[in-house]
Amino acid sequence: MPKLSPQQLEVANLIVDVLNLEDVDANDIDPDAPLFRDGLGLDSIDALELSLALKQRYGIEVRSKNEENSRIFGSLAGLTDYIWRTRLDDKH
Amino acid sequence: MSRRWFQQRERGSPLLLQLILWIALHVGRPFARMLLYPISLYFFLAAAEQRNASRLYLQRVLERKPHAGQVLRHIHCFAATILDRVYLLSGHHRDYRIEINNVRALLDLADNHQHCLLLGAHIGSFEVLRALAIEERPFRLKILMYPEHNKTLTNLLISVNPEIAETVIPLGQVDTVIQVHESLANGEVVGMLGDRAASRDKTVDCELLGGTARFPVGPAVLAASLRVPVILFLGLYRGNKHYEIHFERLPDADFRDRGSRSEQIQQWMQHYAERLEVKVRDLPYNWFNFYDFWEES
Repeated sequence: MPKLSPQQLEVANLIVDVLNLEDVDANDIDPDAPLFRDGLGLDSIDALELSLALKQRYGIEVRSKNEENSRIFGSLAGLTDYIWRTRLDDKH
Repeated sequence: MSRRWFQQRERGSPLLLQLILWIALHVGRPFARMLLYPISLYFFLAAAEQRNASRLYLQRVLERKPHAGQVLRHIHCFAATILDRVYLLSGHHRDYRIEINNVRALLDLADNHQHCLLLGAHIGSFEVLRALAIEERPFRLKILMYPEHNKTLTNLLISVNPEIAETVIPLGQVDTVIQVHESLANGEVVGMLGDRAASRDKTVDCELLGGTARFPVGPAVLAASLRVPVILFLGLYRGNKHYEIHFERLPDADFRDRGSRSEQIQQWMQHYAERLEVKVRDLPYNWFNFYDFWEES
């Protein structure tokens, strides 16, 4: 399994914390596996919890009907990319 | 396992629904109402699965074997509310007597600027409330539903009133609950129906009319995660042009104690099921789940 980048590990830890995934070790999350349904089996309610946590931690808002949502919530890698991209944009 | 509603074909052919719609809009309600008799009879004869489901349900609610006339009456009641949806959504709601029962449950929350979810069922016609919300605008109402189910009917209703397309929050998407959250934050009221479990839903067993049926946990879990009060709403059909919208505050959904969470969710849904039972015992022909609800066959 590919090793997580430091940013990916940070987001993986956030997911595990926020969603109380007691049986999941953040290091073991496959960055490219789907987070919802198949992979971690998260659902739409978890997506809300996660979006609230992103706002609190990073000041990033995930809006509904964003065409990127399937990618943002698609995998740990996609989510991490989105967070860091958005933070960079905000700094400019 | 029996065929659940999700696998069931849509009731009636698209052609038949289109015919009802055309008749409704062109020949007026009295004649359209007359046509409901042959239409109901056609359903009774052609749709064995629905006829059977009606029989099993009526046997439970009436506590005796129903005769054919009662099954026909049940189908006719359903057809009448479908026809009425067309009128209700095309600006004719003022022709109806719509009683609103216990609206305080809703207003008390609105007075405190509190968000809430409305939880209904396939009992009577929730279009009554939808029509009132669209036409009179006491509040903006969004409805959570699976977009792929009942597509024909939904598209027909959209052709009658395009605004209803804007009032749907599609279930089953990653951002469904984010949409609900945004809607509530914008001061909208979000409604959903809690009596049918889709094949992908998590369910709990609840007692209803002397049998055990599976109910989705979705409504309870959604209310708990959004931390909002839930109000039961039913648009009950009392015959001819008379509807009654019933509101009732349900217990707050708070399942923070992990150890007993699944029992608490079951109890919450059981309470909802009991409230439905009270209503269908009063108005038995308002039950519009024409499939094997108790999975008896």
